[in-house]
Amino acid sequence: MECTSRKMDKAVVIQVTGRMDAVTAPDFDAACGAWIDQGETRLVVDLTALDYISSAGLRSFLVVGKRLKGSGGTLALSGLDGMVREVFDLSGFAALFPVHPCPETALEALG
Amino acid sequence: MTRAPRPDKQRGLAFRLALFILTSTTLIFLAAFGYNYYCSRHVVLKNVRESAMHLAQATVLRIESKLRAVEAPPRMTARHLEGRPLSNALLLPLIHDMVAGSPEIYGGAAAFEPHGFDPEHRFYAPYFFHAEGGRIAFNQLGSEAYNYFLRDWYQIPRELDRPAWSEPYFDEGGGGILMSTFAHPFYDLSADQRVFRGVVTADISLEALVTEIGAIALYETGYAFVISRNGAFLAHPDEQLIMRESIFSVAADRQMPELRAIGREMIRGGTGFAAVTSVHTGKRSLLAYAPVPAADWSVGVMIPERELLADIRALNHTVLAIAAAGFTLLFLVVVAISRSITRPLHRLVAATTEIARGNLEIKLPTTHIGDEVQVLTHSVDEMRLALKEYIANLTETTKAKERIESELKIARAIQMNFLPKRFPPFPEQTAFDLFAALEPAKEVGGDLYDFFMLDARHLFFSVGDVSDKGVPAALFMAVTKTLMKGIAEQGLTPADVLDRVNVELCQGNDAAMFVTVVCGMLDITTGELVYSNAGHNPPVLLRAGGAPEMLPVSPGLVLGVMEEATYATSTIRLTPGDRLLLYTDGVTEAMDAGQRLFSDERLLGEMAGLAAAEPRRMVERIMAAVHAHAGGTPQSDDITLLALQYKGNAESF
Repeated sequence: MECTSRKMDKAVVIQVTGRMDAVTAPDFDAACGAWIDQGETRLVVDLTALDYISSAGLRSFLVVGKRLKGSGGTLALSGLDGMVREVFDLSGFAALFPVHPCPETALEALG
Repeated sequence: MTRAPRPDKQRGLAFRLALFILTSTTLIFLAAFGYNYYCSRHVVLKNVRESAMHLAQATVLRIESKLRAVEAPPRMTARHLEGRPLSNALLLPLIHDMVAGSPEIYGGAAAFEPHGFDPEHRFYAPYFFHAEGGRIAFNQLGSEAYNYFLRDWYQIPRELDRPAWSEPYFDEGGGGILMSTFAHPFYDLSADQRVFRGVVTADISLEALVTEIGAIALYETGYAFVISRNGAFLAHPDEQLIMRESIFSVAADRQMPELRAIGREMIRGGTGFAAVTSVHTGKRSLLAYAPVPAADWSVGVMIPERELLADIRALNHTVLAIAAAGFTLLFLVVVAISRSITRPLHRLVAATTEIARGNLEIKLPTTHIGDEVQVLTHSVDEMRLALKEYIANLTETTKAKERIESELKIARAIQMNFLPKRFPPFPEQTAFDLFAALEPAKEVGGDLYDFFMLDARHLFFSVGDVSDKGVPAALFMAVTKTLMKGIAEQGLTPADVLDRVNVELCQGNDAAMFVTVVCGMLDITTGELVYSNAGHNPPVLLRAGGAPEMLPVSPGLVLGVMEEATYATSTIRLTPGDRLLLYTDGVTEAMDAGQRLFSDERLLGEMAGLAAAEPRRMVERIMAAVHAHAGGTPQSDDITLLALQYKGNAESF
């Protein structure tokens, strides 16, 4: 798994590529944690290139979302597709976060 | 552990050092020795040649002086005889005095031409000689038997018109001594022309010369010899040769053409050197030769090469002996030095071998020289201390790890004991059959399954999966299972059960753990199944005689995330023979070596082949299929399967 971050005007866009499971999820935690530590409150995570997510991956989203919520921020998702979309739907996680087709629309929605 | 290789004596440092130094020294010494031998041999040979030539020339001088001393009186006498009338009275005292006055002269005569002195007599040659007892004896030479006109000593001066030395010969009259005769011609000057009248002779005994020269000893077996103008030996240590053999007869005898060439060069009056094998001693020798001009003789000095070089050979032996002693000393010193170098190394090797065996307490040998060995010893000691510390840390870490592992094992055991494992669970029940299995991953996972009768009619069953692994997941699973059972037994619908459990789990869930659960309540008399889902994989429904399908579930958030989450209830009616399979994502997300998932489709496919299978067989077959898919890939998640077959209530039919 690989995380690439871009700092935009309104938010930080983090692109996640590959597989997100118990082994790789801590990297995602660390990447998001670093931005939050820097004072960022709005993160858009783009999952277009994510191939697989396990329940450990879901938990990472939960942890990051909780941290942001605590500081009045937002975690938005974009690019949910295929197996990832199914997992988010099945687990109800798709209802926990704002979900957008692509990072641009997510940024627009942030206002 | 492998044994430390023992140093090979043949390849040890000391041996190689000694070998290298001694080989180098030997080569240097041999080069110096060879050069020295070559040069000193050259110098010695040069000196020897010079001294041999000096010796030859000294011998020549000695002979010359003797010969010249003998030449003077006959010359004077011949002059006396010219230009005056001769008579016996005049002639005899003159000859007598010439012989008596010269001790070098053995005998002397004045020999006249035929009828030259007295027309009456054909021969006239008065001869005086030193007889025994020191007296001077007289003899008249010349007779028909002794026709002196034919003798060399008479003929040669007459023909050549000059004085000449005769070839040496054995005197026939005077006791067989070896002699040579100098003859000086004299003439009648009264006529208009110079008319040959005869010769004045002086004999010289060569006995003394022969003895003297024959006695010359050079080195051990070196010698001198003299040959006449014909090559005959006049003086030689081998007396058998004297006057009997010539250098040419010897050369012919022994087939030595080189000796013949030397002989020719000698009688030609040459001076020089030659290398030749001496016939007399049989040794390779150096020959120096020089002429005796007075008599056209030649002197040779013969010195064996071995003896020439004896000194240098002795010197070489001494040098070699000194070298051998030096080598021995050098060898001992080198061995001592190499030992002093390798001894601490050997001690260090012994110590490090001990360290390699695991004895980290060993004290390393101390050296005080401050050399590389000490530096090495210091490094090894630091390595030993670092190793000791590392091993201590490792031991501690291993202990901690073992403790954690054993705790995990206990947690796993406790977790497993939570699950109902008695099958068939309700032997008296005929309305349904149920089987469940949980195959744990290596780490403690968080899967769970449960089933129990709420009352005589209702079976409650569930399968869940906690989001994390390890002890926290195990604890979370235990809490979930306990809550589920406690709340379900209150007679609530599955959706209400999930609602209540969710609220409880959300309380103080700082770790943000969650659990997915699918649960259902089956009325075993009617086959009515009420179920609800909290983010879990939908169960597979296999209708009797139908194809397997995913049971439609209402979306519901996982438990433990949001207190406000609500869950929906769905209802279907099972008919006898229908089967239901509940599972966790350990099944559908089991991966092979290529990270390909087992997948929902594969699960449905496997189920299609199990239309008539009992729950136990169904679980076992699916489990086997999952393992076959994974191959050798380690199982990363718990695998849980729960199969339920509804058989219906016989009484209702």
